[in-house]
Amino acid sequence: MKKFLSHFEQRSGFEIALAVFALAYLLVFAGLPLLYNIMLSFQQVDLMEPATLLRPFAGLANYRDIFSRPEMHQVLINTLLFVGLSLFFQVVIGFLLAVLFAQDFPLASFMRGLFLAGWIMPGLVVGVIWKLLFAGDFGVLNHLLLSSGLMHERIFWLSDPSYSLYAVIIANVWLGVPFNMLLLSVGLAAIPGDLYEAAELDGANAFQRFYGITLPMMKATLGAVISLGAIMTMQQFDLIAALTQGGPANSSQVAQYWSWQLSFQTFEVSAGSAVATLMLVLVLIIAVFYVRSTRSERLV
Amino acid sequence: MKRYVLFVIALIVTAIYLFPLYWMYITVFKSAAEMFQYPPTFWPQHGESHIWQVFTERGMGKFLWNSFIIACGTTAVTVFVGTGAAYALASVQNRWTGFAIFAVLVLQALPSSLMVTPIFTAFKGLGLLDTPRLAVVIAQITKTLPFYIVLCRASFVQIPRELRDAALVDGASPARAFFGVILPLAVNGILVTAILVFLQSFGEYVYARSLILDDQYQTATVGLSAFIGATKIDWIGIMTYSAVFVTPILIAFMLLQRRIVAGLTAGALK
Repeated sequence: MKKFLSHFEQRSGFEIALAVFALAYLLVFAGLPLLYNIMLSFQQVDLMEPATLLRPFAGLANYRDIFSRPEMHQVLINTLLFVGLSLFFQVVIGFLLAVLFAQDFPLASFMRGLFLAGWIMPGLVVGVIWKLLFAGDFGVLNHLLLSSGLMHERIFWLSDPSYSLYAVIIANVWLGVPFNMLLLSVGLAAIPGDLYEAAELDGANAFQRFYGITLPMMKATLGAVISLGAIMTMQQFDLIAALTQGGPANSSQVAQYWSWQLSFQTFEVSAGSAVATLMLVLVLIIAVFYVRSTRSERLV
Repeated sequence: MKRYVLFVIALIVTAIYLFPLYWMYITVFKSAAEMFQYPPTFWPQHGESHIWQVFTERGMGKFLWNSFIIACGTTAVTVFVGTGAAYALASVQNRWTGFAIFAVLVLQALPSSLMVTPIFTAFKGLGLLDTPRLAVVIAQITKTLPFYIVLCRASFVQIPRELRDAALVDGASPARAFFGVILPLAVNGILVTAILVFLQSFGEYVYARSLILDDQYQTATVGLSAFIGATKIDWIGIMTYSAVFVTPILIAFMLLQRRIVAGLTAGALK
């Protein structure tokens, strides 16, 4: 303890108290539920029983249970597709937009600001709006795609199992693009302009400049954006709740929504907690990756 | 010339991006028949408004009030607890604070939909579900506090350390140096981050949906979701509800856009 306090030698107890207070709050109300969740995943839980800490120990039974469920396979693939595709398109579109708005033209920063309106909106509202756009028989998206000749027959985006997951991904990309664009814009702005001038003098074309200067200089930012994006995508709940609720027939089901449904709709808390614990492991791995990439950012 | 080509491209891209918002707003003014018309109309033909009707029929006043109360509570506690922590973590930099920041980040990283099961069971045991709005506030703070600390820390980092030291040399106590010298300089960043926390909390859904069992205390997002579950979907109603709910958020955002962007870009990667 003495050694611990000596780190703060030049600082007073006042600052330590400020930090400890907030950390204690987080440890109690976020850390304990987290541990409690891991505990629940190894217990037999009956929600109708009054809450007690000690319940019959179930060992790995809950995990065996979820892995033996027929939907497990699909949820796994859907979660991977949902996170992977969302991330890919958010980063690529976000990057293209960041490059576009980094150019010098009238109202550039104002228009970039408008994009963030999509980011500030509640996920549930965004989901509801997209649900209307996706509507099969009177939806405007189908109308636009049909009348522009890109498509020849209507797609029932949300009720057709082969499209529902992709519909959710499209809406999620829309929601995530502004944040990606913003962070990548910051990264772009930090690259010194004279690097480009020197490269241009040496006769490098636009593609060579992008590949030789922009990409390597953006490595740390990209690392942070990808890991933050992965965490945010794994947190996405509201959109799925508004659009498809995992359906039809689990075709758009992902782990974070499944876990909630198990706990709160079918009251299989044990199974829900097991899914949550598996997600927790994934999130932890990504968080480590994020902290690493921000650390290297600071050194640059 | 190139500047104008870029300008036009940017304008088109922005228009495409904002189209869903536009669609929400024009649907508010369509009639039921026009709503289901195909091909859809891009401008309401006989403008009607159902704003007041939806507002009263759906009890939006009560829902918005609940959301407002919860968002106020969440923001107040977050600012109260988080500001000091952000300052402490910005002014002391060593292994321990590095670990603390990592812990803060990890605790934020978990989806609410996964945290809500243990929180629900624990709060039920503690009897907190009897005061549902308080329960939601406590739960939401676990999400907003890390976000607030990380962003606010960035604005404290930008304040020169010498200012605090000078105040101490002049005989001020550390608390006085913080409240009298440092805090006024960071007020801008604190305000912007607090508004972001407020907006985030105002639109929160999972905790409200899962922890509030009594309809009377339900929030605006849950009121909105009740629309969607219905077998026959009242689209005009839903869009009107959404527009009423989201317009104040968008106005607040537009007014503060510049500062929010500056605050986010300073804090996002530090």
